[in-house]
Amino acid sequence: MADAANGRGGFGAWLLDPKRRGALLVTPAITILFVMNIFPLLWSFGLSFFNYKASSLRVPSFRGLSNYERVLTDDKVWERFQTTAIIVGSSVILQLIIGFLLALMFAKAFPMRRIVLMLVLTPMMLSFVSVGVFFKLFYEPTFGVVSYLLSNFSDERFVVMGSPAGAIAGIVIADAWMWSPFVMLLVLAGLVSVPKYLYEAAEIDRASAWRRFWTITFPYIKSLLLLAVLFRTIETFKLFDIVYIITEGGPGSSTETIAVYLYRTAFQFFQTSQSSALAYIVLFIVVVMTNLYLYTVNRRAEEVN
Amino acid sequence: MRTLMGGLLGATTLAAGLSGAPALAEDITITMAAPDWPPTRFMQEYADQTYTSPSGANVKLEIDFIPWPSFYERVAASLTSGEQKYQMIVTDSQWLGAFVEGGYYLNLTDRIKADPELTAIMQDLHPALVSAYSTYPHRTRAQLEEAGEVPAPGVNYYGFPQFPDTYVTYYREDIFCHEGEMADFEAKYGTNLPCTYEDWQDTDWTKWGQIGEFFQRKKGDMLAGETLDDDFYGIAYQAGKGYDFSTMQINAFIWQQGGDIWDETKAPEAQAEGVVNSDVAVAAFEEYLSYLQYMPPVAQTGQMDIFVIQDLYMQGKVGAIIDWVGLGEPILDPDASKVHDKSAFAPAPGTRQADGSIDRTGNIGGQPFVLTTWNSDEIVDEALNIVKWWLSPETQLEAVKNGGQSGRMSVMADPQYNDLRPWNRAHVEMIDWQKDVWHIPEFFEMLTQQQEEFDKAITGQISAKEALDAVAEFQQELLEDIGMIE
Repeated sequence: MADAANGRGGFGAWLLDPKRRGALLVTPAITILFVMNIFPLLWSFGLSFFNYKASSLRVPSFRGLSNYERVLTDDKVWERFQTTAIIVGSSVILQLIIGFLLALMFAKAFPMRRIVLMLVLTPMMLSFVSVGVFFKLFYEPTFGVVSYLLSNFSDERFVVMGSPAGAIAGIVIADAWMWSPFVMLLVLAGLVSVPKYLYEAAEIDRASAWRRFWTITFPYIKSLLLLAVLFRTIETFKLFDIVYIITEGGPGSSTETIAVYLYRTAFQFFQTSQSSALAYIVLFIVVVMTNLYLYTVNRRAEEVN
Repeated sequence: MRTLMGGLLGATTLAAGLSGAPALAEDITITMAAPDWPPTRFMQEYADQTYTSPSGANVKLEIDFIPWPSFYERVAASLTSGEQKYQMIVTDSQWLGAFVEGGYYLNLTDRIKADPELTAIMQDLHPALVSAYSTYPHRTRAQLEEAGEVPAPGVNYYGFPQFPDTYVTYYREDIFCHEGEMADFEAKYGTNLPCTYEDWQDTDWTKWGQIGEFFQRKKGDMLAGETLDDDFYGIAYQAGKGYDFSTMQINAFIWQQGGDIWDETKAPEAQAEGVVNSDVAVAAFEEYLSYLQYMPPVAQTGQMDIFVIQDLYMQGKVGAIIDWVGLGEPILDPDASKVHDKSAFAPAPGTRQADGSIDRTGNIGGQPFVLTTWNSDEIVDEALNIVKWWLSPETQLEAVKNGGQSGRMSVMADPQYNDLRPWNRAHVEMIDWQKDVWHIPEFFEMLTQQQEEFDKAITGQISAKEALDAVAEFQQELLEDIGMIE
């Protein structure tokens, strides 16, 4: 009783025993993770085998693998995958090029470098919604800045978003504008880690600029570039906000990514089970892509060793 | 928490009753989901100022204002999540099927029948609104009128008009009534440039196209005696991919020319193929597409929605637009609109018939409000008291003075009604032409696919026929799948 009064006995003392303190500290995090992530993940996986509409109070009925079959035989799904692949491919390549060039620029000292660097990093810190709205207004053909600037060279208003190719380009540019600084940061980290004596030695050997880049710089940034490819590929694969705000998937369905289609299926058409099946297929693809990357990186590491 | 509070209040009331002290009125909050715009903002302000429940309970209407672009998603998410947050919901009429079948919207038929006040309101509502806003399964205006009685036997009623909306023309009086422009227009087309309300009553789509062509001017050209400092466009109507932003206008063209969309009231016999893509429907859609060339270039992107049109008009870049009455109020705001003192309002154009009359059939806008199924009897009674208050002639007139509209025929017949807002006369004329799109639970799949195909045609990727063929095929397959078509 006296121990309890001193805070050294009873349930409190048992709970705060050093043996249990670690478990006690991680329990809230694990609980939140389970409630917010693991449970919905398992629940939606279960739903993908049932016939269920979230807009209806009807009891779900078991359908086995038919939702997966339906999704995988749906032409619309494959069209959206193609659109996503085009956007991911174009956007990631553009981000790598711009990010790499920016990193090369910022690897050297120049006046006001810090301020310019801060400005270049700003897009990455903006919300998707802001970036989407900015670019929607930039591309607006009646009063948008792009149309306005180009009207100096032509009598006709320039309509960026009027064709599928223009709309895809518009989205790719917006996404690249936002995320090239991220690639730049990773590459820059690699560039600044190259020991200076290697360049000095190369200079003594009178190695060309290309030779210096290929034999000294590139090995240091290669793995970081691959990391940038992985991160940006996965993120762009899930691209939703910018597309939805700028084009809503149009013209027609030419910019509708798989993420936008998934959203429509789940929250506009309320095909809950089918959308769960599609979500798991997307998850599977992302997991496969990640593993391919890891396999490639590990193989290269083994080769180097 | 609310249950606990209710229990405490109940206990307090009981204790007060036993002690002989006067009973405390119970606090009841009716939470309603509503889009965030002037007609619903006014409802909140006016309820705060004036509403007292006839039951004596202390009832408060609390509106959860949701921005328009996310309104459907937020309401749908709330309903399907089971949070049971709302006792009332302002809902687009098309959602009735999905959420009635889902079990979320309360069938009010028996309550309307049992309550003479509600019955009187229903009898006084414009039948186009009752058809679109209230019935599920959907009944057309003709079917309701044939039944004669209100409430009609065998019909289920769910909603009441919160804000009835129609398409009208907004136009720039300064250019349409400019003598020089009028003379030039007459010389070019051999017909008058519409200036007065009566002129617009005689304006059909052909003249609408001529207006578009006539007023398409470049920077540096003259307009109404002044040099333009930017490009100018004659006309604009909806051509947007989002939500229903092209369907609403395209349906008008199709109906006016004698074509049809899939008619759910004739299911299971009604077919989509052969109707949706009939020759008449294709010709009507082609006409709709033919005028896009005279509109601001955003039309070529398929993103010309109701807000874009309103914005371009307020910036003074368009001569005449067709838009919902509900978007009229900002046009008159000097802080928001460059044309606040130059604008006038008229009926939307229509299709001239063989006898010379003009058919203005259009897709109804606006929203009903409904009650949700989880409400207790007491809450339902109080929610219906709010319905009666909102639809009382006094409240309705006050709402109209503040930019709203009424669905009650007796209120619209009030001699002062047309003068309360500058678009009222046109609204009253247009409401008689309104009908609605399908209400079935799969409406969003149909709408989205249709919007995509329309958008491809609007942006020149496919022809009107290809678009309507694709729509018809999709609808036929979907409707057969769900058993709506045999």
